[in-house]
Amino acid sequence: MNQTSETPDRQSKRDFLKIILSGGVVAFFGAILYPLFEYLIPPKQAEVEVSSVKAGKLSEIANDSGQIIKFGTKPVILIRTAEGELRAFSATCTHLDCTVQYRKDFGTIWCACHNGKYDLHGKNISGPPPRPLDEMRVVVQGDDILISKKV
Amino acid sequence: MKKYISPLAAVILVALTSGGIVLAKDSCLECHTTSGDKPSALFKHDIHFQRGVTCAGCHGGNASADDMDQAMDRKAGFTGVPKGDDISKTCAGCHSSSEKMKSFGSSLPTNQWELLQTSVHAKSSLKGKEQVVQCITCHNAHGIVQVKNPSSPVYPLNVVKTCTRCHADVAMMRSYNPSLPVDQLEKYRTSVHGTRNAKGDTRTAECANCHGSHDIRTAKDIKSKVYPTNLPGTCSACHSNVAYMKPYKIPTDQYEKYAKSVHGIALLQKHDQGAPACNSCHGNHGAMPPGVESISKVCGTCHALNAELFSSSPHKKAFDDRKLPECETCHSNHEIIAATDKLLGVSPEAVCSRCHTERQNIKGYQAAKSMRSLIDSLDAGEQQDIKLVDEAEQKGMEISEAKFKLRDVRQARLQSRTMVHAFNEGKFKEVVDNGLKTSIIVAQESQSAIHEYYFRRFGLVISTLIITILAVSLYLFVRRLERNKIQQ
Amino acid sequence: MKTILKRLYTWIDERVEIEGLVEYMGKKYVPVHRHSIWYYFGGVSLFLFIIQVVTGILLLLYYKSGEELAFESINFIMSKVQFGWLIRSIHSWTANLFILSAMIHMFSVYFEKAYRKPREITWITGMLMFFLLLGFGFSGYLLPWNELAFFATKVGTDIAGVVPVIGKPLLTFLRGGEEVTGATLSRFFGFHIAVLPGLFTVLLGIHLLLVQRQGMSEPLHIKQESDRKTMPFFPNFILRDLTLWLLVLNLLAILAVFFPWELGKKADPFAPAPAGIKPEWYFLYMFQTLKYIPGKLWFFDGEVLGILLFLFAGILWTMVPFWDRKSSRGEQNRIVNYLGLFAVMYIILFTIIGWLA
Repeated sequence: MNQTSETPDRQSKRDFLKIILSGGVVAFFGAILYPLFEYLIPPKQAEVEVSSVKAGKLSEIANDSGQIIKFGTKPVILIRTAEGELRAFSATCTHLDCTVQYRKDFGTIWCACHNGKYDLHGKNISGPPPRPLDEMRVVVQGDDILISKKV
Repeated sequence: MKKYISPLAAVILVALTSGGIVLAKDSCLECHTTSGDKPSALFKHDIHFQRGVTCAGCHGGNASADDMDQAMDRKAGFTGVPKGDDISKTCAGCHSSSEKMKSFGSSLPTNQWELLQTSVHAKSSLKGKEQVVQCITCHNAHGIVQVKNPSSPVYPLNVVKTCTRCHADVAMMRSYNPSLPVDQLEKYRTSVHGTRNAKGDTRTAECANCHGSHDIRTAKDIKSKVYPTNLPGTCSACHSNVAYMKPYKIPTDQYEKYAKSVHGIALLQKHDQGAPACNSCHGNHGAMPPGVESISKVCGTCHALNAELFSSSPHKKAFDDRKLPECETCHSNHEIIAATDKLLGVSPEAVCSRCHTERQNIKGYQAAKSMRSLIDSLDAGEQQDIKLVDEAEQKGMEISEAKFKLRDVRQARLQSRTMVHAFNEGKFKEVVDNGLKTSIIVAQESQSAIHEYYFRRFGLVISTLIITILAVSLYLFVRRLERNKIQQ
Repeated sequence: MKTILKRLYTWIDERVEIEGLVEYMGKKYVPVHRHSIWYYFGGVSLFLFIIQVVTGILLLLYYKSGEELAFESINFIMSKVQFGWLIRSIHSWTANLFILSAMIHMFSVYFEKAYRKPREITWITGMLMFFLLLGFGFSGYLLPWNELAFFATKVGTDIAGVVPVIGKPLLTFLRGGEEVTGATLSRFFGFHIAVLPGLFTVLLGIHLLLVQRQGMSEPLHIKQESDRKTMPFFPNFILRDLTLWLLVLNLLAILAVFFPWELGKKADPFAPAPAGIKPEWYFLYMFQTLKYIPGKLWFFDGEVLGILLFLFAGILWTMVPFWDRKSSRGEQNRIVNYLGLFAVMYIILFTIIGWLA
């Protein structure tokens, strides 16, 4: 009597354990494989941000022009003078951190926020900026322009 | 010859030279007067002569000897005409010694030579053998009179002429400092100081009042009285002196106000030399208060964009009609505090409401109201973005891109503050909307980073739960196997 | 389902005769006694090795070697790749736990004298793997090309350069030049993902084969047959092993989420060394010792002496099965115990001092 009442109980308990166990194994593989497969999907964004930035091709940059280049988390302005010389500066205005731009008509670097002006050596020449822009290093390798921090 | 010397002077002479050489007579002056040369003629009006200094006091030699060879004997200490730096050293022989000066009954300071050495004028001359400026350059050699004597070259009304002897000489200045202008006097004569000086007012500022007398330094020298950070103090030496300024009937609180202003704080406290000092608005040598018309041009030299926007704004005509000064009306003059968004709008502290009320100029009232609410919402958006970015960063999430965009929000806000001066709601809204758009993107990005943070913790809970259940059931399973084996 | 599996098994068995192996496994027993717990650390180390291989391969999908790319690519993995932060943090944490668990495994084997005849080869391969592990840690530490790694590598290779005679060539070999540069990074990358794993896998194969072939060693004090309790290797011991592995995995997940591995600042060869440069904790006791040795001892250079001393100690430790004859004869050898105890105390003490310094 005792035995008969115990056996189904044992049986059901074992089944329960087995269900848990096999369910656990399935869930476990799910928990492991989900992040793995997610990891394998390449992210959409550009893959690598580099501290020295390729700023484009020399042949594609006209004389007497300037452009803003993303340098890590900060903007950098690359200037090509009328004589064809390349210079790069931090594009953060030394006055109130706006982003400066190149003004062809003035021939200067210009900040739209408060009309601060810098000459093409980054020196503050007019308006509120208290000090010159930080200069960056420009290296030309073949046709590629590389900008990096000045050491 | 003796008749040229007044009996009184002779008495003083004998009395005063008791410390030095006691002279019975002055054979130098006697002979040189006879020969009729200019120095000896001038010397008779000289303060030094009057106080008993003889030719020999500066030139040496034996003044009591009748024989010329004896009197001008080098062995007897005759030095002839001093050359180069010896000139100033000769003066300094007495003027730098307080004892000697006292013995002549003078209470003049005795540090002039010392001060001169620190001055830009102590640079060596083109010949390289001596300093550019000697005492006699400004004070003359013979016929020196006291400063308060109107015939003195350094008398307030004469100083300008004395300085410009060199400073208006193009050829001369070019050889020493080609970048220095030579039109200071010309400009000075246009200034309030200069016109009054020309009319004979000795109390208004001349060259030495601002530049110093013996210790004149270049304007780039940090110790110069006209170095940007020192200049307000130099002007205020007179302009803040209530008693001194009394006859001129102008306020004397400009310095006090300026020191509290955004410009004063930048220059005097933060030592930002780009910040304007008195001369930036009032001019240097042509110092003058700007008129109603020219105020915007004065401010506009630095705040160009604001001035330009204002000129093309509807306010330009309205202000002109009412003869209101352009910038000053809202920003005041000496006490310009850093402009905040509070200036805009219709609240009591806003300046718009001074003219625009609900009853009067209603269109401007509404524009001010909506512009204020626009900039407020941009500001609130930026504040929220900063908070979210900070939170995400604190949680260790990587959000450098959102941080980069946050700069654009800030830029839009700063730009909108400039754009206010166009007093054009449409243009203003365009700038603010740009900022608001970016602000929303930043908020989304940082919020998703924060969300990711919680997602990681949630994921951990789920997976540890699964792993733990699996581990426990596996353990129970092993135990069961072992028990079964024992039972068997 | 079952029939398919059975048919597959028969298909394989017909060709490679695994019947014997399975039978052998079924008959294999693991001794059960009060020191049985130590048997599990070998298994845990194996599990951690598997994790390292898997996460290492995953990191390789996005990692870019090179001075200009390494740091940025790790940053990319940490911020842009889905679960990249998890994979990298697990790889870094596992590296540390792996060395810790291998150390525990080694010391337990040492104190149980499990290296004694006939298991000398197992011990030697284990020790060689331990040295490879240190190499893994040292080379892997540089790969993110961050400031700390850069200077730790500089100091570490400097120390290697002090070794007499072979020091200078060794330094140049390790650094790929005179200085720590991008060339060093390339080399370390190569060592870390190709050379070391290759060697390690061969040694691990031998190690595991020998463990299976010879079974678990029993402590010396169990002599009487009546004392002996055993458990079947399969499935009991394997399943217990698996349970422990799951718990370790749990621990790793928690560590990775709550203490994600920092990336720090990018290495700048021209920047001054930051204050408090320390090697990883498993090198700390050696680093600290070298600090305490005076610059000159008699007519020897202090640092050289220290390095030679550690070299000698390492060789002595590795060679223990050959000079500890007593254990092989089944006798107690107190000297070995005292030496081991001294080593454990020394390592713990100097690691703590180095940590606090």
